Parts: sequence; C-alpha cells; structure tokens
Amino acid sequence: MTLTRLVHHVRQVALGEQTTFAQGVLTVSVDEARGILADPALAETRLAWVSPGESARIVKVLDAVEPRTKGPGGGGIFPGFVGPATPQGSGETHVLRGAAVVNAGYLPRAQEALVDLSGPAAALSPLGSSHNLVIEFTPAPDAGWDRVDAALRNGALRLAARLAEAALDAEPDEVEVLPSPSATRTDRPRIGAITNLQTQGSFKDVFLYGRSFGPCFPTLLDPGELDDGAVVSGQFGHPALKNPTYMHQNHPVVNELRRRHGLDLDFAGLVICPEPVDQAGKELISAFAAKLCAAAGFDAAVVTKEGGGNADADMALKMDALADLGIESVALYGEMAGIDGTGPSIVVAPERATAMVSTGNYDHRLQLPRVERVLGGAQLALLGVPAGDAYQIPTAVVYCALSPLGWGRVTARAS
Amino acid sequence: MARIVHYINQFFAGVGGEDSAGAGPTLVMGPVGPGRRLAELVAPEHEIVATVWCGDDVAAGLVGEIIALASSVQPDLVAAGPAFTSGRYGLACARVVAAAQAAGLGALASMHEDNPGLDEAGAAPVVASGEVARRMAVSLDRLAAGIRRLLAGEALTAEDGRIGKLARLTVMADASAAQRAVDLALVRLGGDREATEIPLPRFDRVTPAPPVEDVSSALVALVTEGGLVPDDNPGALESARATKWLRYSVEGLDGLAAGEWRSVHGGFSTVWANEDPNRILPLDVARLLEAEGAFAGLFGEYFVTTGNGTSVANARRFGIEWAADLRHSGARAAILTST
Repeated sequence: MTLTRLVHHVRQVALGEQTTFAQGVLTVSVDEARGILADPALAETRLAWVSPGESARIVKVLDAVEPRTKGPGGGGIFPGFVGPATPQGSGETHVLRGAAVVNAGYLPRAQEALVDLSGPAAALSPLGSSHNLVIEFTPAPDAGWDRVDAALRNGALRLAARLAEAALDAEPDEVEVLPSPSATRTDRPRIGAITNLQTQGSFKDVFLYGRSFGPCFPTLLDPGELDDGAVVSGQFGHPALKNPTYMHQNHPVVNELRRRHGLDLDFAGLVICPEPVDQAGKELISAFAAKLCAAAGFDAAVVTKEGGGNADADMALKMDALADLGIESVALYGEMAGIDGTGPSIVVAPERATAMVSTGNYDHRLQLPRVERVLGGAQLALLGVPAGDAYQIPTAVVYCALSPLGWGRVTARAS
Repeated sequence: MARIVHYINQFFAGVGGEDSAGAGPTLVMGPVGPGRRLAELVAPEHEIVATVWCGDDVAAGLVGEIIALASSVQPDLVAAGPAFTSGRYGLACARVVAAAQAAGLGALASMHEDNPGLDEAGAAPVVASGEVARRMAVSLDRLAAGIRRLLAGEALTAEDGRIGKLARLTVMADASAAQRAVDLALVRLGGDREATEIPLPRFDRVTPAPPVEDVSSALVALVTEGGLVPDDNPGALESARATKWLRYSVEGLDGLAAGEWRSVHGGFSTVWANEDPNRILPLDVARLLEAEGAFAGLFGEYFVTTGNGTSVANARRFGIEWAADLRHSGARAAILTST
C-alpha cells in the first residue's frame, strides 16, 4: 500500500468572500466556515487567523488539525468523522502544510495549554510556526459539555477537509511518495514504532476511525492511515505531553522511519495502543503490543506515550514486555525533574530495558513576554492572570513542547 | 582565614533527643559537639565561628531563621551535618545549604546517599557521610576535606564523595527527538548495551511500618493526595505539579458535605469526588469508628496535597513534613487515601 502526499505550502492567509487557495495564499470565507462549524451544541463560533512572528498568544488550546483532503467532500479523509469508517491510507492526499485549524476555549478537564507565535515559546510548539485558523466558541445554553466537545471536533475536521479541498486543482509544491512498512526481511535491522495514546474517558480520549480507542486492544496500523486522519485526538490533558490530531497526521517517529526505510533500516510497522487506567489493563495491553511486534518481525521498537506519570507506567511495562521477547526498545520520555532539574526524571522506570531519549524537562520554567493579541480566552487559568501578560510558566504548559512523538529538539542533560 | 558556621540538630548539640525535637533555632558561638572535631580538621586556615542548632521536628520549616542566625556572624561558608540516614535532620541540612547557597554563601552538607532529604539540597553540594553516627570520624574527615576544597575555590566531584543528582538542564539538541530515538535504536542493535540519554533513576523501596500495636489507644489522622479542599480553595492548592501541602480543620464535623468541599485534582474526573467528598477523605466513616471506640480519637486536621505530576522530590518532602508534624502532634497512625 502506498500513499502519496501532494503538499501545498501555505505562505500567506486571509479571510475573504470565498474559500480559495492560489499561489500559496489560503483565503477562508468566514460565512462558509461558520456554516460548516454550526451545531446545536454551539451558540456561536468566531474565527481568526494568527500567524508566525505576530505578538500573539493562543490559550486554552484544544485540538489542532492540518488541512487535508483526498477529494471533493473529503474523499474519505478523517474516516469515522468526515468520511465513512472504512480503511484509508492509500492513494493521494492533499496537504496544506504550514496551516492548522485550532480549537481554543474552555472544556472540562482540559488543562491550560498555550501557544506563542513569537518569543521564546514559539520555537517549542509546532503551532508556533504555522498559520493557525483559531476557532473560539460559545456553548449553547443547554448543551452538555460532551456535546460541545463532539461539535468542536466534528467541526474542525470538516473545516480542515474543506480548506484542503480548495487546493485540489492546484499544482503541489512537493510530491512525497511514502513507503509502507515492509514484510520482507533484508540484512537491515527492522525497526518499528509503538504509539501509546491516552485514553481516560471524556475529554481525555482518542478516536480510531471515529470510535473511542479506550476499550480496544493494540493494533497494527498502516502509517498512511495516520496521514488520512484515522487517529483523531480528543485528549486535552498534559498540553506539553499531548498528541493532537496534527501530530498524528505528521507523526515524527513514523516520518523518520519512512525516511530511512531501505537505507540504514527497514520500517517494520506501527502499533498503536490505549493507555488503560488500571495496572492489570496496562500489563495486558503491554503484553499484547509486544506480541504484535514479534509477529511483525520487529528487531527494535521506538516507544512513545501520551500524558504524564500514569503514562510512564505504560512505557516501562511495554519496554520490559518487549525485552522479554528479545525486542530492543527506545522510549521517548518527557522528564519531570523539578524546577532546578535535580529531581528523579521519570515516575516509573522499566526493570530490564534502559534506552531512553529525553524530550526535555516538564518543570523547566520559561519567561514569556507580554503580547498584543490573545485568542482562546481572557485569562490564563493556571495563574489566574490576564492571558496576554508577561509571566513565568512551566514548559509543561506549552502545547507539544515535550512532544512524546519526538517532534522537538528540546532535551535535558546533566550539567 | 575563612569563617564557618556549622549547622547541627538538637541531639548532636547535646540538648536532648525526641523530647527536645520541637526546639527552635539557637546560635552558639564557637564549635559544638561534632563541630569540635571538625574545627580541628579545618584549622588553622579556617575557623568555626559559631554553631546553629535546631530541633528535628521544626528545623525544615525554619530555614529562613536558621540562615538569618548564621548570617549574623558573617560566615564565608555554612556547613551542615553529618546527618547520616536521619530523614528530618537530613532534610534540614539539605535545605540549610540550599538556602545558604541561594544567599550567596559557600555551603556544604554531609549525609548518607540514602538520606531522603538529599534531593532538597538542589544545586548545593553534599558529600557522603557514613550510614550511622558510629561513622562520625570518617564522615567528618570527608566533610572537612570538602570544606577546604570549596574554600580554595575548587569544585567538588564524585572523587571528593560528592553525592546527589547533578541538575539536568534544558538545552536544544542538534536533531529531533524522533531522529535521536531511531539513532539510539540502531546503536543498541549494534551492541552498545549502555547508551541512553536518561540514566535510570534510583527509586526508594519503602518498607511498610509495623502495624500500630494498639489502635484503640492511638490518635489517628486522615491525609490525602486527592486535592480535596474547601470549596473556594483558600490556599490555592494546585491541580497538578503541587509545590505545597495544606491543612484544614475537621473539628466538629461528622462528614464532608457536598458543595462545601471539592477536589482540585487535575488527574481524574472529580464529578464523583465532589458529589460526596467523603469518597476522597473518609471523614464520615472515621467519625463512626471513632464513636465506636475503634481508636482513641481523630486528629483535628487533615493534610492534603495533589498527587498529579508532582515531582518525586516534592512528594518526598511532603511525606517527611507530614510524618514530623503528626509525630510532634501526638498522632500515632495515619490513613493516606490516594487517587
């Protein structure tokens, strides 16, 4: 199975009469977009672009989605939400690279999450360097929060598909032909990915083909399915350690394995796993993930997580389960080493496996400047101060700053 | 000649044992107790000009006063310990040297590597002592050698017996974490069994305390990491990454009424906790048991923090402080509810 990404670079954005894409300029019709977002659970939606370099901040960031489509009406993109829940991951997918559709505002259980478009935090988040179409919202007076959440998710996905549709007739800037994992053994080492997803119920859930992934067993996924939006995030905890839909669409470990496939390694496959909330469930899921990796002929797995200390337990158990089957593993950990970096880095360590990569210290403090423009909310919930003020925050609050999927270059080292 | 202030506890000051553990900080001119030998070891170049001692139960919370007393005699360096494996004493020594260093003074503590207070020294140096006070002589030799080196302007290393974690500082790597992870997988498959970016942390194995022999005569306390606070959260307890713990009175209450208390914990859905706060802090059944005479009485306050992304160093400190506080207050058992 082969997927081809037709990549269109978004260099400039605007709001206008009609939704169009031409010469790198993405123009969005607010009326059309609000029509796409309309839902009985939402009294009102407000749209605004915010771009890299601006003195601007988005707070209460929920999910982010990269605009993509496979054809008119989505052509099967975001299966289970926009398209029918049928397997995707092959053919052609149009990608508006450099843009994102971003929901921002209050939802229960959502932890305060921040994106700066300039200043020291901008480089720490993938949204710090993208043109973001921010959707703010007012819930309908009688709507339950779960309905509001679903309306926002469906709306953002439909809007992302619609924006990409504007590029269907445009000449792509790049054509990326993506290899699928190979089943054939060569003399190169076979390395795959295990992606754990935080599944803890409403507002902390992840969807596979439109269904809650919480009660599921680990499964092998074709990486192209990620590209086509088979995995959608509804998980709003741990902002720096979360995996929004945007990151699944651009899974950094998968992209790295694809890039090196046939060079110094063979891409052995992708296994996605829920993160159960009980120990017995964690052990069972870890054992099954390891079995799948063995069946797919993994020599080594890069293991990633979503969330904080609870998710460390899933990582440790998986690494040990892999070791028991003779499979090498490397895990990506965001460290929780305290403000001065002298605390223990991880909450639960494996007993047998030992190879880890650091995506930085969660507790490291950042000094943010005052900004001119704020989206998502008036206050920073964490500190109870005006969101646009200058203040100090832990790196943990910056959206994807310690990306468990390995997007960033931030790390921590002993001094 | 450099001026040194030596910090010790009430026991090594010769004041008393647990009966004096609540005594506040006191400044005494010249060396006291183990300081006399330490003074000989650092002489004639350096002098212990004064000693500050404080009771173990209260010292960790009075570090500001301890440093103020020490600073009153203009020291160049504050030395603390040896604290061996004593938790309260080690915590105090660690905090004293952390505060001394923050105040711009030289600082060095001595304790065993297993002392639970060790992490509280932060970036201030600590050298290893023996495990128990019988190892006082060799422990003082190493502390004195460390003091001499620091006062000579040199840094301490593992060769000097330096212990405690080196700070892990945030930096930008040359490549993304995804690329480094794949690189590391290839290195491991290539036969390197050691390569990693994060050395495995050393975790404590907590040995459960023996059962309380006669619960019916014990004062029992309720403590929780469930983030349960009065509804307006007057102490501003954090929902995650707690840096503090709080105490609230339960005097005269037979249970916790919905609407008057709530959990601020950010790690689970608090709907059911808020519907009946006794689910987090079981005051209702504790009162019933108290009335039945199952134990002598319920402690008048409960202690609370939030266990959600809380650093191990902070969690360890909360535990030491809770134990010291409860012990000092006469409680002999505690029920810790976790979420």
